[in-house]
Amino acid sequence: MKKYEQWFSLIARLVLGGTLLAAGLLKISHPYTSAAAVRAYRVLPTELANLIGYALPWFEIGIALTLIFGLGVRLSASIAGALMLIFIAGVASAWARGLTIDCGCFGGGGQVAPGATQYWQEIARDLGLTLLAAFLIWRPRSRFALGETKGAI
Amino acid sequence: MGEIKSEGHESKSEKRIQAAAARKVTASKEARQRSITRAITVGSIALVVVVGVVFSVISNKARTDVALPPSAIAANGSGLTFNQTATPVINVWEDFQCPACEIFEKTNGQALHDIATSGKAKVVFHILSFIGPESVILANASACADEVGKFLDFHSYAYAHQVTENSGFWGTNSVIAAGKAAGIADPKFAECVNAGTYAKWVQNIEADGTTQSINQTPTVLINGKELDRSTGVYGDKTLFAAALAAGGVK
Repeated sequence: MKKYEQWFSLIARLVLGGTLLAAGLLKISHPYTSAAAVRAYRVLPTELANLIGYALPWFEIGIALTLIFGLGVRLSASIAGALMLIFIAGVASAWARGLTIDCGCFGGGGQVAPGATQYWQEIARDLGLTLLAAFLIWRPRSRFALGETKGAI
Repeated sequence: MGEIKSEGHESKSEKRIQAAAARKVTASKEARQRSITRAITVGSIALVVVVGVVFSVISNKARTDVALPPSAIAANGSGLTFNQTATPVINVWEDFQCPACEIFEKTNGQALHDIATSGKAKVVFHILSFIGPESVILANASACADEVGKFLDFHSYAYAHQVTENSGFWGTNSVIAAGKAAGIADPKFAECVNAGTYAKWVQNIEADGTTQSINQTPTVLINGKELDRSTGVYGDKTLFAAALAAGGVK
């Protein structure tokens, strides 16, 4: 693998992991708000939405840590990428159904004024992060990774 | 000479092979160790995530062993209830720190208080506290005010003196002072605020709001039907009066 690719993978790990870490930490101390943000998408039944609202911040932090430390990068990046695709689908569906909500990605969430939605910015950001995840799946080996062993990455 | 040379050559290459084999063994040992360390680290991160999720799901459920303020009725989601047997039914979900709740209170609070005191309808106040720790202090204090029969007085006062969310203004001392200013003379109030007597009740209201799918504040339901935010009814006296009339409040 080329040298610069290893550096780029490091940056991808830190950006994707750092974003997930921030998202998780900002939500984890406000579980009810997090649950309300998931309910606001009006996709899932209340019980399931609440469960996801409580669980998601923990999950995000876990994935963030493995990415930042560089442990099981290909698997972590696959999960992070899948997560981003789900987020994009959620935001796009809210947009398509004419809901006016904040994505609640970094805490908060729920109803906002009709002019205050940021759907395309949210989707653009998540698309960027999806691309980083895709790069990591393709080139999981990087600089300063704890879990760098031959074969399994 | 040739033989010796070739012997020497052989032994050299043998050594090289042996050294390579030894290196391979150490390398594979190291690799194994590294992959064990990696598995342990990933495993413990996964464990923390699972434990965190389970803890979070369990601790955010409403509890049953909770001290209720006198007006709270368990069947009404532990909301502070006025005129339990009356109809129609008005449910109010609010947070003392929420600016939109302040607007609602300023516009329609008096009408709602009048209904609660005159018995024209059943009114249930669900005091949420999702905005932050200062909301929790205020919510607990409102239950303490209920303990001495002054919930509505505290309610009006707290909104009339609302400050920026989580500005650091609302602590136990300022809440006790607010109670006094709102006409609460009973020393039980201060004790209750300091002890956080109804902290678990406050938590339960949050949990109930989550199961009732209350996504924002204020949310008012008349006979179970949520007032449509997009009409601007929360900040409009005439529209709110019409909604009350439509719900059968005379």
